[in-house]
Amino acid sequence: MTPAFLGTLRTPWLWLAAIVVASFPWWLSSYHLGIAILALLYVSLALAWNIVGGMGGQISLAHSVFIGMGAVVATALNLRLGLNLWVGLVVCASGAAILGVFLALLDSRFRLAHLSFALITLAFAEIGELVVTGSDFLGGASGLYYPKAAGGLMQFDFGGSTGYLFAALLLALICLFVNAAILASPLGFYLRALRDNENAAQAIGIPILRNRAVAMAISAALSSVVGTLYARYLGFVDPTQLASPTLVIEIVLIATIGGLGTPWGPLVAAAVLVPAGELLRGKFGGVLPGLHYFLYGVLIIIVVLTSPEGLVPRFASLLQAAKRRAGGRS
Amino acid sequence: MLRIEGLTAAYDGPPALSDVSLHVDKGEILGLLGANNSGKSTLINCISGLVRPLAGCISFEGADITRLKPHERVANGIVQVPEGRQVFPQMSVLENLLLGGTSRGARSHRSTRLDQAFALFPRLAERRPQLAGTLSGGEQQMLAIGRALMSGPRLLMLDEPSLGLSPLFVQIIFKALGELNKEGLTLLLIEQNLTLTLAYASRGVVLERGQIAIEGTREMLKGDPRTRAAYLGL
Amino acid sequence: MDILLAQTLIQGLLIGGAYALIAIGMCLTYNVSGIVNFAHGDFLTLGMFIAFGLQAAAALDPYVSVAITLPLLAMLGALTYQYLLRPVARSHALVIIQLTLGLSFVLQNGLLMIFGGQPVRTPSALEASILVLGDLFIRTPQLIAFCTSLALTLVLFLVLGYTETGRRIRAVHQNPQAAALMGIDVPRVRTLTFAAGIGILAVSGALLLPGTTIWPAQGLRFTVITLMALILGGMTDFAGVYIGALVIGIAEAVGTVYVAGTTGMILPYGIFILVLLLRPNGLFGRAA
Repeated sequence: MTPAFLGTLRTPWLWLAAIVVASFPWWLSSYHLGIAILALLYVSLALAWNIVGGMGGQISLAHSVFIGMGAVVATALNLRLGLNLWVGLVVCASGAAILGVFLALLDSRFRLAHLSFALITLAFAEIGELVVTGSDFLGGASGLYYPKAAGGLMQFDFGGSTGYLFAALLLALICLFVNAAILASPLGFYLRALRDNENAAQAIGIPILRNRAVAMAISAALSSVVGTLYARYLGFVDPTQLASPTLVIEIVLIATIGGLGTPWGPLVAAAVLVPAGELLRGKFGGVLPGLHYFLYGVLIIIVVLTSPEGLVPRFASLLQAAKRRAGGRS
Repeated sequence: MLRIEGLTAAYDGPPALSDVSLHVDKGEILGLLGANNSGKSTLINCISGLVRPLAGCISFEGADITRLKPHERVANGIVQVPEGRQVFPQMSVLENLLLGGTSRGARSHRSTRLDQAFALFPRLAERRPQLAGTLSGGEQQMLAIGRALMSGPRLLMLDEPSLGLSPLFVQIIFKALGELNKEGLTLLLIEQNLTLTLAYASRGVVLERGQIAIEGTREMLKGDPRTRAAYLGL
Repeated sequence: MDILLAQTLIQGLLIGGAYALIAIGMCLTYNVSGIVNFAHGDFLTLGMFIAFGLQAAAALDPYVSVAITLPLLAMLGALTYQYLLRPVARSHALVIIQLTLGLSFVLQNGLLMIFGGQPVRTPSALEASILVLGDLFIRTPQLIAFCTSLALTLVLFLVLGYTETGRRIRAVHQNPQAAALMGIDVPRVRTLTFAAGIGILAVSGALLLPGTTIWPAQGLRFTVITLMALILGGMTDFAGVYIGALVIGIAEAVGTVYVAGTTGMILPYGIFILVLLLRPNGLFGRAA
């Protein structure tokens, strides 16, 4: 264990936040509890995406396919073939990882640096949505209905909102630790080197394909696992929601607004923006559908133009400067 | 004609030019000398407007041009032949020349100037339909100069025109530059070849780490041992 | 030849021709400014919805209202380049992707808030008109779309190849710094080409509208089609991109006719990936 990784583990704010979240079931309404679960799922998704998009600097838009694998395919395997969801979770996560490696391979043949990756993965995201909506096995355009509270933990059922909150919290922490571990490992170093200057990184002997393929595999598998939990929590798998490129673009925007690279940007941004968006949708969804997405879009344009490193690093440096000034005066 | 005062410029880090003042007189050839990275290219890129100075001002024929955009300076008569020629490789020789005369005010003189360019470098006339990227280095240099002349410059700045050329081409190019100067064109010449520069330039300025080290007439520079020293970067 | 196949191929060719014009606009901006705009399809959708609104409000046929939507979109394109893209033009390629994805969300959801999410149809004079050639049927609007698109592409090609403006645009593409030294106002050329690339979308929108339904979230699909045509054509080559778009159109028609359900719509993407695996530099690309 490197000091950087242990440092993340020892961040007091993290554990304080986790304890506060864990106390939610005792004092939040079920509506707000639902929002909290959703926020935690998005935190996990943003963190899983950050491995490729943030550390590797490759804007993957194919993550909706990985999420969809975990959500749609695992559910379909369970409903149609009776495959246990835990097994389905592993099968789909492995499938997502393999697909991720394939995408990394495909991209390595077509060199436009960071651009081609976004182009190719977007095409994949479209294919994913078409496959799901076109296949009766996967629920077609009408989706899959999965009744909640059926079978207990052995069937990947966490009971009520409280159970799913804890499951989502645990998964979010796992995603955070995976992020921190990669960041502190040689893989994280290589990924950042490749992001900042692919040619220079290659010149000092960092293998491009292997590192990117490993990052894609981990990121894809995690996304798939989150997808399975997400689907199980919702109880209804809507392919236009869980396998759509819009979902992944939303994640890209959230993570970018927070600040890519370190886990904290995507984490904080998802924890703040998703509840804010949900509350907005609750208030104005009937009159102005899409208002929260519209605001995400406006927000990212402002962020990119004014502080492209993201809001969390920006606030952190402002805070540090303020502390230094306060320290200087005393 | 051109007057620079207190010019300071930097990319990221230490200044590439600090507090440089110099002037170019009408009708002269001013040689700009110095070792690599002494700030010569930065200086003419400031004059062309490609690099924005941090401080100082540049005036041309009495008017302040410090804030003008690159294309406005071309229209005012300041034209640069950049280092490495920078011809448009996938365009024909003719198209490259026409692009040289694309600025407002230059278009009406195109056909006469085209004839002049072909008269100066007959080889360009032979290569008229050929893609510029397929020309030899010397031919590309002729094209770059011809292209610059198309806009009717009053001050022509050349960044290392002899770089990478065979002695034969160097001779042709410098003979042409001498003729242009005799016809009244003012030249600002950056050149690695010291002997060549001192043979053509009437005056010279030696830059050293972004500052002017020596300035004077050809004879003065020839006699000054510091010229060679600064040149070698000593 | 089998009538069904012939009919399908013609259909695909016509659709592909309409796609080509959309892709050519992006190709132009990519060439001159190196920008790949992930909101391209959303600008197209915006143009279509403005035409829909003008039809609903003033009974203007889309073929007529293009006189309004074209300058409107071109202006919007110029403003977008000037105030959003130019400030980040020198940054990492990622930043432009992030910015244009955000722009896509703004446009798509702005339309959703104004027009709602239900698919709408814009009436047009020729929407039901059909030409009969022997055993083959051709929908007149599609024929108009194909011909106009081909004509505009040719015009663009001629302008780029043989006019002063075209020469300046090519100069900025080949060497922006040298272009500036020739007295070309490079930022202005880039703004204008971006405006042209977006403005063309107003024409594409009008050509696609008759007989089709539109909805705010459709933009991404057009962006993907555009990007696939661009990659198939090798990114910078106009003729290549045009043919790339035809390939996508034909694949789409064949897939829809011969494969049941939405699965058939996957065919163009499958061909795209296959080409990428076999010829990473595009259909006509030489190894770099």
